[in-house]
Formats: sequence, C-alpha cells, structure tokens
Amino acid sequence: MKAFLTLIATFTFSSLTYAAEIKLQNPPINTEAPNFVAINSYGKTIQLSDLKGSPVILEWTNHDCPYVARHYNENNMQSVQKIARDAGIVWLSIISSTPGDQGHVSPEKANELTDSRGASPTHVLLDESGEVGMLYGAKTTPHMYMIDANGILRYKGAIDDIGRGMQFFNTAFKEAKNYVSSQINQLLANQSLAINSTTAYGCSVKYNYD
Amino acid sequence: MLPLFLLQWFNMIRMKNIFLACSLFLCTLAASNPVETGHARASLITNLQDSQQESFYVGVRLEMQEGWHTYWENPGDSGSPFDAKWNVAESLIVENVEWPTPITIPYPPLMTFGYEGDVVFPFKVFRAIDSDLSSISVDFDFLICADICIPEKASLTLDLSSATPNALVDAAVQNLPAKIIQTQSIVEGNRLKTKFKFSQPIKEAYLFPRQDNLFSYTPTQQFVSLGDNSYEITVPVLKDEVASFSGILSINGEGFQIEEQLGSTASMSLWQAILFALIGGLILNLMPCVFPVISLKVLSFVSMGGDDNSKIRNHALSFVGGVMSTFLSIATALIIIRSTGSMIGWGYQLQSPVVVGILTLIMLGIGLILLTNINFASGLTTFGSSVQSRNDYSGSFFTGVLAVVVASPCTAPFMGAAIGYALLQPSFATLPIFLALGLGFAGPYLLLALKPEWISALPKPGAWMETLKQFFAFPMIATALWLMWVFMVQTSGDALILLLLLGLILGIAIWMIATFKGRWKWFGMLVTLLAAVQIFNNLPENTSGLLADSSAEQWNLAIESDLQAQDQAYLINFTAAWCITCQTNEKTAFARDKVKEYLIDQNITYVKADWTNRNEEIAIGLARYERTGIPLYIFWKPGMPGSKILPAVLTEDLLIKSMQ
Repeated sequence: MKAFLTLIATFTFSSLTYAAEIKLQNPPINTEAPNFVAINSYGKTIQLSDLKGSPVILEWTNHDCPYVARHYNENNMQSVQKIARDAGIVWLSIISSTPGDQGHVSPEKANELTDSRGASPTHVLLDESGEVGMLYGAKTTPHMYMIDANGILRYKGAIDDIGRGMQFFNTAFKEAKNYVSSQINQLLANQSLAINSTTAYGCSVKYNYD
Repeated sequence: MLPLFLLQWFNMIRMKNIFLACSLFLCTLAASNPVETGHARASLITNLQDSQQESFYVGVRLEMQEGWHTYWENPGDSGSPFDAKWNVAESLIVENVEWPTPITIPYPPLMTFGYEGDVVFPFKVFRAIDSDLSSISVDFDFLICADICIPEKASLTLDLSSATPNALVDAAVQNLPAKIIQTQSIVEGNRLKTKFKFSQPIKEAYLFPRQDNLFSYTPTQQFVSLGDNSYEITVPVLKDEVASFSGILSINGEGFQIEEQLGSTASMSLWQAILFALIGGLILNLMPCVFPVISLKVLSFVSMGGDDNSKIRNHALSFVGGVMSTFLSIATALIIIRSTGSMIGWGYQLQSPVVVGILTLIMLGIGLILLTNINFASGLTTFGSSVQSRNDYSGSFFTGVLAVVVASPCTAPFMGAAIGYALLQPSFATLPIFLALGLGFAGPYLLLALKPEWISALPKPGAWMETLKQFFAFPMIATALWLMWVFMVQTSGDALILLLLLGLILGIAIWMIATFKGRWKWFGMLVTLLAAVQIFNNLPENTSGLLADSSAEQWNLAIESDLQAQDQAYLINFTAAWCITCQTNEKTAFARDKVKEYLIDQNITYVKADWTNRNEEIAIGLARYERTGIPLYIFWKPGMPGSKILPAVLTEDLLIKSMQ
C-alpha cells in the first residue's frame, strides 16, 4: 500500500513538474550525447545507446517547412544523407511536430515521404511529445547534431552557412559551406570538430505548447 | 444649357472631393503600389515633404494578417529578418534599415523576436543636392509566420516626385530606439546581469540581444529595482565568457540602444579611488596645461623668501582655499548636471567655445601684464596676477581658482580612473573623490603652509625674478595660442578673427586701466565688457570641427564589437583639441613614423574618437571604461579576452611596447 502511494505520488509529482517545465536543454559539445528512446516509422523502438560503435547524425525535420522543403526539393539533404550513409554513419531524421501541427505525419506518410523524395535516413523517428527535441534543444527545422562512434556530441547547429536572413532562398547550395558533410571525416576519427556549434536556422520546431 | 452647365460644375466639385479623399488615403496607396503578398499587404511610403530635402525616409510598411508576424534582425530561436534590395538612381543612397523596437513572440519552449500587425521599417535616404526626384524601388523578401512559416516577397515602387508624405513614416522614425541607455553588465555563472538607470516606474523590461548564440531567450527576464532609479535585468547566457554585446532594451515598450563591453574594466573601491585622486592631483601640477600658472605661484612664493612665516602660511592657505573651493564647485556642478540626466565628463566645459574664448583672453591678459610689467595690483587683483600683490590674499585665492580652471582640460595618470569612478557613483562618493583630487593638487602648498620655513630652500629673490616673470609671459601666450587653435577647430576662422579682435580690445583696455586714473579706468573696463558681449553674441554655432586624420577610422559606439567580430586588432585614441595631454601624446607617440609603421605592419586598425565638441556617444563610450575624461587609449588584438587601457602619458616606445 505504501509503495503504491509512493508510486502515485512520484507519478503525479513527476508529471506535474514535466508539465511546468517545458524547457529546452542545451547539451554541451564534446560530452556524452544524452541518451533517448523513440519509435521509428516502422514501430520499432530505437535507443541511442544501442547505436554506439557507429557515428550518428540527427536531423530535425518538418516536410512542410519552406526551409526543409528547399533542402529536399533541390536534393541537398539527400546528398548529405548519402555521403553519411556511405561512410557508415547512422542517420536519424526526427519529427518533433505535435499532432495537428505542421509537419506531423503518420508512420505511413513518413515512409512515403522518404520514398518520394529519394531520402536515405536509417530511421525516421516520430517524437510527437517533443521529448527528444527538448532534450537536445532542437529549435528549428532543419537542426543538425553529430555524435561520434563513442557517443560524444561533436556538433550542433545549422546544416550550412547560408541560413541567416532571406538570402537562404536566393543562394545556391553549391555556394554554401555544409557544416555536416564537410566535417564527416573528423567525425569518423572521433575528433573534436573545427566548427562545433552554430546557430541553427529555419522554421521553429512545432512543439506542443498549449 | 444651364442645367448641363450646372451638372458639370457639380461634377467638378465632386471630383474635387474625390481628389481630396484621394490625397488622404487612396493616393498614398496608388503611388506606393501596395502588394498583397499572401499574408500581408506591403507598401512603400515616404516622409519626403518638399523637393529640396536632402535626406528623408522611405518606409516599407507591412500590414500583416492577424496572428502572423515577421522578424527582428536577431529573430530569436527561429525565423529570419527580411532582406531588402534597393534599386535607386545614382543620386540616391539608401541606408540600412533602422530597426523598430521588437516585441517578444513566444512559442514555448521557443522564443522569437519580431513584429505583429501594422509595422513600418524606415530606411534613411540621402540625395545628391539638386538631383531630380526619381522612382525608387525595392525587392522586399521576408519570412512571415504564424504557427507555420512562409517566405513572401513584394516588389515595390514609389515615384518620389509625386509621393504624398505619409505620417506613418514620421511616427515610425519617432518611435525608433534611437537613444542609448547607459548600462553596466557582469556575467555571474550562467547569468548576465545588466544594471541601468531609468527615471520612471517600470512595468516591463526585456533585453533583446543583437548577436545570436550568446544568450538563451526566455519568455521573461528577471528584473529587480535596486532603488535610486537603478534597475537590474538578468539574462541567461550560453557561454561563460561574453566580451561584448549590443541590443535593444525595451522598457515599457520603448526601445533603447545598448552597446556593452564587459570585463575590460576593473572596478575599484572608494578608498582606492580616493588614493588615485590624491596621487593624480599631485601629478596634475606637472601637466603641461597647468605648468604656466603653477610656475607663477611658485615664483610668488620665492618672492616671499624674506617674509615672515605667517604671511607665507596665509598665502599658501589662500591658494589651497582657492583650489579646494573650485574643485568643490566643479563637483557640485557636475552632480547637478548629472542629475538632469546628461552625460558629462572632465574637461567638458572646454567643449563650449565661449569658455575657451574667455580662457584665451585670460591667458592673453596675464601674458600682457607679465610682459609689460604694468602694475595691476592696485586696480584689479581679480586678474589673478598675484605676483605683485604681496599682501592681497584674495590674489592667492584667485590664482588657486585659475590653476584649477586651467587644469580642467588635463588628465594626469591615476586621475582619469578616479574621476571616472567618481562620476559614475552616487553623489556621496563623488564629493570625497573631488576633494581628494583638490588636496593632491594643492598638496605642495599645503605642505608649505604647515612648514613655511621650507621656503628658504628656494632660491633667494632678486632681479632675476623680474626677468623670469617676463619670460613666463611666453608660456601664457603659448597657452593662449593653443586655446585659439582649439577655438578655431570648434568654430571657424571667422570666429577666430573676432576672438583676436577681442584680444586687441583687451590689450587697449589693460593699457587704459594701467595708464589712466579714475573715471577713464572704469570707461576702459566698460568698453572691454561691451565689446566682449557684442562679439560673443556674434559667435557662430559649434561646427563639427573634426581633427582631420586620414589614417584613422572614425569612431562609433559599435566599432569595438564590430572589429572584435572580424578578429581585427585595433587601437582607439580618444582625443580632443582642448586636451593638451592628448595633443602632447599625438606628437610624442601617435604621429611618429615608427608608430605608424608598426600599426601598418601589425595590421592594427587605428580609430580616433574626437571629443573636441560635445558628443553624447563618446561620453558613453568613455563611461564603458568608467572614464569621463580623456586621454584614453584602448588596444585589443585577437586572443585577448578583453581590450586593455594604455597609459595616459605615452612615448613612441611605450606605445609600441604596450601593444606587444
């Protein structure tokens, strides 16, 4: 009985604090990346710690966001994914849009998007609660994170350097410095990256904030 | 026939009415080609009043649908500022947008900064004199968001020759966050604490940082009143070290510019400031601008070599009294001026050409009196020429006053830091520091008052004194010449001729006073006074008399953060024509070829801030280093955590060494 009460109390308390604390975390660079568990578009449970041994790239995405749309329409995101996958890196595309908001998709729709766009993520994770997003402090779509084979967070920020201001919509991707694809070799070497933190750009992640 | 005629007339009246209505609403719209972009209506408007105006504003007005917003230059956690590409005639220059004060647009847990509803983005336009007014067009790309974001664009054209001035532009310009608010910030742990003063009650305040990746953006910022109109706002930081930042502080919805440098100033205690003031005051005696006056005083003490001690003591005390009361008056005046909210600094009185003009005449007058040996003591002791007036203690008192007045453009080592501290502290701390400064300055004479017998250590009086006294006329006249140059930099060549004319009249007056007796003497004084009033009335207004220096960049408040952002080393020289220590340093250090070559070799940007005329921005720039006076030299190069203050008295070797 006592244990049951404690359980209820703990549960109530933790859910209360959770509701009060919709707060973005800010995981520090060159320290262990926070572990998470999420469901992929095939209903399989994916845990970050299980992926140790190979580097991981996290991509926050929302297919209706104009920034993301441009990256996919011009085959830019797909080519970065291909470079990463060819190098043996696990690519996780994460959707943190809350149900009813822009970018939220059913598992079937997620797979259809992957096929129709010729994308090659290892998994598409459906983070409806936004828990993973907030754990990593994901603010925008796209927002990129690079984790090395030892589970150390090596990069967080923008995918490239053309995002601030409206120039994004007028600048060719070939003129951009891509922070992810250009630093993959250092990531594979489990080294600290030359550029490890930038300001992400794009649409806001559509968290549940009501 | 008649009814038709009437009908036509009636129609004309109606058209006139339509035209009237048009000039109020429709024409503005028609001329600016409003464009429906999807979720907003964009239009181009102006406040250009008449065809002769050389500078005016054009505004891009966005009327956004309810629930939609666009972004400030730092959009916050997501979003993007707009992009405006202008297409204008060569005779026009369109400046960058002057951002209106943003509001917070929270999407918890995210925070964005921007604008909702009806907003006008003003752009200042400069136009070549007598150029034709042509069309002006802009491609305006912007991101508009509600829950979702959409990039929209408008190509807008406005014919300036037929545009009606729109009051919305004036209102937007009026509401721009133009004023700079003085702040003091420190980083404690992961919090930035910024202190500022505000004279009205504050309902809400938010600090919008311009740089991204420095702070985290929270829905509210902790905000406390410290009493005495002081407030402190707390912003969470992302990094341990914040060297500088800029932004807008929104207080009750009204925006103020913030330009902040951190960590470059080491705060001192009150006792340290008082000690610095004592030492600084003592050294002030040796500074170039005070020397002529002090040397006269020393001479007058020499002449007292044979007199009894009590007389020497009284003279010394009178002098000390003059010094102290003047410092006290200056401190009081500064406190009063400060309470009105103005930024003030040491030497600020010399920013007024009238004060410089009067000082010039005083110097010239003393020079003339010394040179011609006119015995003035009987008539006008108040001229400060106390050399002759052995029994007149008021003469000694006034020499003390004069010495401080003349010393005011100078900053001695230690003194700048002390006065800077004094002026940024509450009144109870200001007075003791100024008194300590006076005490330091008058120290040697105070010592003489305590031990009058020490005067025997000075050379014996004799005929050599007369010669030396005449010689001292030249430093006086040299000082007058320097002040004339300051005056000319501040005003114009024409004004200088007026001042010289005044010098001539002064000369005649002195001669009349010395030569004639009784009524004529008073007549001479009256003539001088009338002439002086007349000429000062005709003085032109301050012109921007910059100390031209082609090798130097012009200073602005943001230049340090800009150059640091570019990893560009820099040397900043805060100077003024009236600051003789600054001018000495120019000659002995900055103007030397070795220094110039070093700056070029090491790729150090040389920046000059000219404070010859009153300039609020420079005053605030100095306050960042807890200074209110000059000279002040600032150096930074990549790798240094914060900029450093170089010594106030420089030689070429010292300057180069301190930059290594």
